[in-house]
Amino acid sequence: MNIKSVLLGGVFAATVIGSAAAEDKRIHMIVCGDNNGAGIPVQAAHIEEWEAANAGFNVDVEFVPWGQCQEKSTTLASAGKPPAIAYIGSRTLKQLAQNDLIISVDMTEEEKATYAAPILGTITAGGQQWGLPRAFSTKALYWNKDLFAAAGLDPETPPKNWDELLEFATVIKEKTDADGYGLAAASFDNTMHQFLNYMYANGGELINADGEIVFNSPNNVETMEFYGKLAEVSQPGPVAYDRAKLNPLFAEGKIAMFINGPWGRGLIGDTNFGLAPVPAGPKGANSTLLITDSLAVFKGSGVEEQALSLGKWLTNPENQMAFEVKEGFTPLRDMPEVAGIIENDPTWGTFINAIPSGGPEPFVTDYIGLQDVVVEAIQGVVLGEVSAEEAVEEAAERLEEYK
Amino acid sequence: MTVALDRSYDIATRKRIDLFPYFLLVPALLITMVIVAWPLVETVRLSFTDASLKPEENFVGLANYEKMFSRRFPEVIGRTFYWMALSVSFKMLVGLLGAVLLNAAVPGRALFRVLVMPPWIVPIAVGVFIWGWMYNGQFGMISGLMQRMHMIGTPLEFLAYRDTAFMATIITDVWIGTPMVTVYLLAAMQGISKEMQEAAWVDGAGRFYRFRRITLPLIMPAMATMALLSAIWTFNSFDIIWILTEGGPRGSTTTMIIDTYKTAISRFKYGEGAARAVMIVCFLSAFTGFYFFLLSRLAKRGEA
Repeated sequence: MNIKSVLLGGVFAATVIGSAAAEDKRIHMIVCGDNNGAGIPVQAAHIEEWEAANAGFNVDVEFVPWGQCQEKSTTLASAGKPPAIAYIGSRTLKQLAQNDLIISVDMTEEEKATYAAPILGTITAGGQQWGLPRAFSTKALYWNKDLFAAAGLDPETPPKNWDELLEFATVIKEKTDADGYGLAAASFDNTMHQFLNYMYANGGELINADGEIVFNSPNNVETMEFYGKLAEVSQPGPVAYDRAKLNPLFAEGKIAMFINGPWGRGLIGDTNFGLAPVPAGPKGANSTLLITDSLAVFKGSGVEEQALSLGKWLTNPENQMAFEVKEGFTPLRDMPEVAGIIENDPTWGTFINAIPSGGPEPFVTDYIGLQDVVVEAIQGVVLGEVSAEEAVEEAAERLEEYK
Repeated sequence: MTVALDRSYDIATRKRIDLFPYFLLVPALLITMVIVAWPLVETVRLSFTDASLKPEENFVGLANYEKMFSRRFPEVIGRTFYWMALSVSFKMLVGLLGAVLLNAAVPGRALFRVLVMPPWIVPIAVGVFIWGWMYNGQFGMISGLMQRMHMIGTPLEFLAYRDTAFMATIITDVWIGTPMVTVYLLAAMQGISKEMQEAAWVDGAGRFYRFRRITLPLIMPAMATMALLSAIWTFNSFDIIWILTEGGPRGSTTTMIIDTYKTAISRFKYGEGAARAVMIVCFLSAFTGFYFFLLSRLAKRGEA
């Protein structure tokens, strides 16, 4: 090897290094689901706009099916190779924050003011916000008007409180072939979600703003007792049913009422149904469970600042609304477009109007652990194995480990 | 002189050790180390740490084991053995009956032998989803038939109650595991010489007597082997329970493997999950040890 070839090699190596340095920095973004959603082109356009304004950065969007999506981001992060920004169920944000895997999204007062307080509650822990809300849902009571009429009830009057709900369900169970109510009590996440709707509608809480477990309250004992009664007028064997399995029962006219999110409207065929707020308990008012999914910014990607900027750009009021309108998601913010959405489809009204009275998904460090305990308590009461008081007391004790 | 001779003998012996066969074993050894030994050692190590989502992990001694045994784990171990014992017994019984029937000289025997296979051929997850629908009270076939035969008055949700869910998972496991037992025992039965059966028949031995005194003793080694292998596979049966009940209602179908999955994968408690996995390894090692002991005993008997 003579001096000339060494020099040539050196020049070549320098060129390679130089061109690598000039290449855009990658921002790895994980989005759950597939890329067929109606809102995805809108999101892609927003990303392009951001890239144009932030030269030198290239957003690499990876679509991961729902089943493995959160696990993928979490596992990558715990293995030290985090995505820069990822779509995550807000319920897990506290766990990720506690394990030092994500950074706070540092919302300004102005930014916070754009969200309703209960929505902010789904992403706030220790006074800081840990995610940028991206998708959102509330719940409502679906009722089958034909079954109400067949039982001699007014088909246009849904139950407003628990007494009416039990009364109507009993009448339907007695006077028709259908069951009065569809109760989900399987070992699955939406069993707890269904319960939380009623818990909030009776003024109960699971964990308070200071992070203390407050599950063992007279309100929650009352809610559990109500669940026991509800099981008697529901389809046989509620423990075999999660919410998705109730859809066909409602569509077939086998249950007269159940709770579901806005997506449920498209899953029940031509059933003649109405939508009402979750009935109020004796100690509370109509309420709903609020669930958000967020964009979380992971620590250690080397592009945290840019990822946060991208997240804020995608979720700013204007861009987020454009995305929601296309996707058909529940709007996160109360903006002028909301009136238009309700005008186009009045069934949105019940879901959107419930937002201010809603309560957040519990924000804890071990969500699955918490969910298992609450579901076990619910199943105990539904199966008649334990009293409501015992179930709530035992659950509250066990929940201390997961707060 | 003697010393010198000894040395030269030593060298000669050493030279005779041929390293080539060992060299050939290196790839297999490496693969075994990477896919078996290393994960196993790593699991045992993890079980003594508080590994979770956070980047660092600390040594916690036996804390994970203490925590595990102070909670519900002993109950889970008991349930796992009960579940396994019932499932394996049913598989052996049904498998034996099936093998006897398929061994009988009936017309269309070949067709029946093929028809035994579907539970084994259909992907487990698909089969279990179908069973899930059959156990449904409102639309399911089993509840429907039972109502039609007036055995029950209202729809019965098999997966909604502790006992029925427990039995439902066992029945599905038996459905999936039986073909293997049947085929294995059928092969063992066909290995029995026809002369022996004919001789007994000539002596006036009836069908059941021949089965009890000839067939059964001769296939006993195969039955023992199969029962043990089946126990090992059943012990770790995950997909059936997970798809049907996810371990519910109220933990009534939570076996060791379900509990391990929930802890390590669903809840990201890698340390605590590893401790559970180590317990599974201990039990399975005991089964396997017993299996090899049994094999060597049977081999000796065969030689004798």
